[in-house]
Amino acid sequence: MKNNLIYIYCLSDSSPELSRYAEFDGLKCDCFGGFFVIYKIVSEKDFSEESLKKNISDIAWLESNAREHIGVISRIMEHNTVIPFQFGTIYKSEEGLSNFIEKYSSSLTENINKVGGHEEWSVKIFCDRNVFKHQIEGLSKEVSALEIEIRRSSPGKAYLLERKKSELIETDIDRFTYIYSQNYYNLFLKHSELTQINNLLPKDQTGRKDDFILNAAFLVKKNSVFNFIQTADLLRKEKKLLGFDVIATGPWPPFSFISIKA
Amino acid sequence: MQEDKIDNRRNITIVEILDRVLTKGVVISGDVVISVADIDLVYLGIRLMLSSVETIEQLRLQKIKDINSDNSAVNSSD
Repeated sequence: MKNNLIYIYCLSDSSPELSRYAEFDGLKCDCFGGFFVIYKIVSEKDFSEESLKKNISDIAWLESNAREHIGVISRIMEHNTVIPFQFGTIYKSEEGLSNFIEKYSSSLTENINKVGGHEEWSVKIFCDRNVFKHQIEGLSKEVSALEIEIRRSSPGKAYLLERKKSELIETDIDRFTYIYSQNYYNLFLKHSELTQINNLLPKDQTGRKDDFILNAAFLVKKNSVFNFIQTADLLRKEKKLLGFDVIATGPWPPFSFISIKA
Repeated sequence: MQEDKIDNRRNITIVEILDRVLTKGVVISGDVVISVADIDLVYLGIRLMLSSVETIEQLRLQKIKDINSDNSAVNSSD
């Protein structure tokens, strides 16, 4: 089968020096309508519509190729402003790619201007309920009032109130972790220009036992990155004992802040 | 935080990478793109993979527990 499909990684408004990226085989760059498109030529064996559908169900294949996709874009963006493409975006001909760029040219320029001089950072916050629940009595007036009532009650009544208290603690953990996550989010917001709240993935996808309480992406000006990272470092150290795990990663290619419109 | 800089050497989870590359950036612009239905199937596969890893880990821990309890039973009968 011929290698005849064009696999797009990203595009930029300036020409990347491909010799810097010798670790990636077959990386090419051509100029279309004033934009420099970074791509490789791939075979139908791996990337035709049917093959791609089959291959993405192979987790090992998907992982290796998705890591390469993000790896290439991450390296290019070290020296150029990039607009990343979704993994597996394929053109059958240069004409199709050229038509896309012509049609969306002004939106592409807008996006380049938006993400230029910025970095995308991700903040994920998890909470260990078993650790955090020790804070609840101090935080929740209802729980501490119930605790006083339990101490004054007969054993039978105290047993029933204990059950009520356990239920209340679970509800209050949700309530307070939400408040905390919003407060922490606001701290990061101060150092960013744009933000996007992402879905909280379920535990069977995070592979973690603690609760996922914040999943956000931030577009941070390059000269604010130091303060952004310091905020993350400080929160991670200070809030660990409360049961919070604050994880900031980046810089990511600006996937979360690209919006292409006709 | 320097160790959090993204590169292929760092252990960024595949879920975190897929969360970006499958649904964000310039989407639905090529002659071939991954459909939303196919992306759902990918996440289902990831879920199954992670839950089977967890099951294997639980079985491994149970086996270690069993060996330890066998050893302590042998030691106490000595």
